[in-house]
Amino acid sequence: MSMADGKSPDYDQESKSGDTTVKVICLGDSAVGKSKLVERFLMDNYQPQQLSTYALTLFRYHTKLNEDNVCVDFWDTAGQERFSNMHPSYYHQAHACILVFDVSRKVTYKNLPMWLKELRDYRPEIPCLCAANKIDVDYKITQKSFNFAKKQGMPFYFVSASDGTNVVKLFRDAINAAVSYKNNSTDYMDEVMRELETFNSMGLTDSGFDTPDGAENKSITDGPSIS
Amino acid sequence: MDEKGDVTLQKCGVRFKPPTLVIVYAHNDTGKLRKRSMPVRLLKQESKVSQVAEELCQHPKHGMYLKKIPLWQLEKMLCLMQNKLKGLSLDESLEATTQEYSINANEDLNKLDDEALEKKKTVMSESFEKNRKKPGDLDYVYDIEVDFNSVNASGQSEWDSD
Repeated sequence: MSMADGKSPDYDQESKSGDTTVKVICLGDSAVGKSKLVERFLMDNYQPQQLSTYALTLFRYHTKLNEDNVCVDFWDTAGQERFSNMHPSYYHQAHACILVFDVSRKVTYKNLPMWLKELRDYRPEIPCLCAANKIDVDYKITQKSFNFAKKQGMPFYFVSASDGTNVVKLFRDAINAAVSYKNNSTDYMDEVMRELETFNSMGLTDSGFDTPDGAENKSITDGPSIS
Repeated sequence: MDEKGDVTLQKCGVRFKPPTLVIVYAHNDTGKLRKRSMPVRLLKQESKVSQVAEELCQHPKHGMYLKKIPLWQLEKMLCLMQNKLKGLSLDESLEATTQEYSINANEDLNKLDDEALEKKKTVMSESFEKNRKKPGDLDYVYDIEVDFNSVNASGQSEWDSD
């Protein structure tokens, strides 16, 4: 799981210590407060890691869930959302997504379907949570209901990265969702990957059933860099 | 005298020749008004206003006054001066800077370059800092939970209706 080489960790493998490792990504328009939310949740309790290959920042956080040690990597877009599409590596192996809009800017709400579509192109099944940020600007907004999340069957949170309202709840729920997704995944690709791993561990690797070595991972670690 | 006791900012503005920031402030203890003119010599046509603003706020004599101006407003005044150096008319310049330093709910910020996006974020950070509760504040709580679902009585957001 070392990130010393600036490459992405492999989230499908167990970490050396046997801890469950999950990847949680944040999506949404520029300046909706994605980084501010992550910072508010983590406060000083994190080790930022730079993935030099992709000009991305990820924040590693250790916690306990039902007695188990869980290691969470929060991925932040680092402004990549402005180059129209996120690099596929951003979505790769993600276990949960926090989709954020700014309650003071309508356009950020109207862009949610676009972000969700892109997410679903890469990760059709992972849990996605919707966060309405900046409620501190005008608390009256919390008397309204927003249809998008309900329509998509997503949990919805009114939050403020500034005064902290519901930020910890949002992230704890996201971590829970990520871990339970990882443990009972129904995502097709994940099933496929697991089947392949079973084949490998059954000693069938030389029988001709196997795929090229690490084909999936290769696209990640050796992919083109973003600059 | 100025360095002692606290002051409250009343007004701020710019003069173009030579580029100068002007502020009017009141002494909190006496209520006396003072005017202070601060020439801005380091501003050039190609300067990055956010950097100039940062340097000005570190100024040994003027810094304590300039820090009282919301950062976006200080930057906006520097932009006005810079536009003057570039030869823009005052009307053009006011229109451009007002657009750059205001938040339009329908403007897609994904399309802005780094510097333009930074300007918008500077404007937004004013309310962020104003409402912020951080460790050390008396009313700071790490895990603060509020259930709004039971109270959202006034119906659907109008954003859903178009």
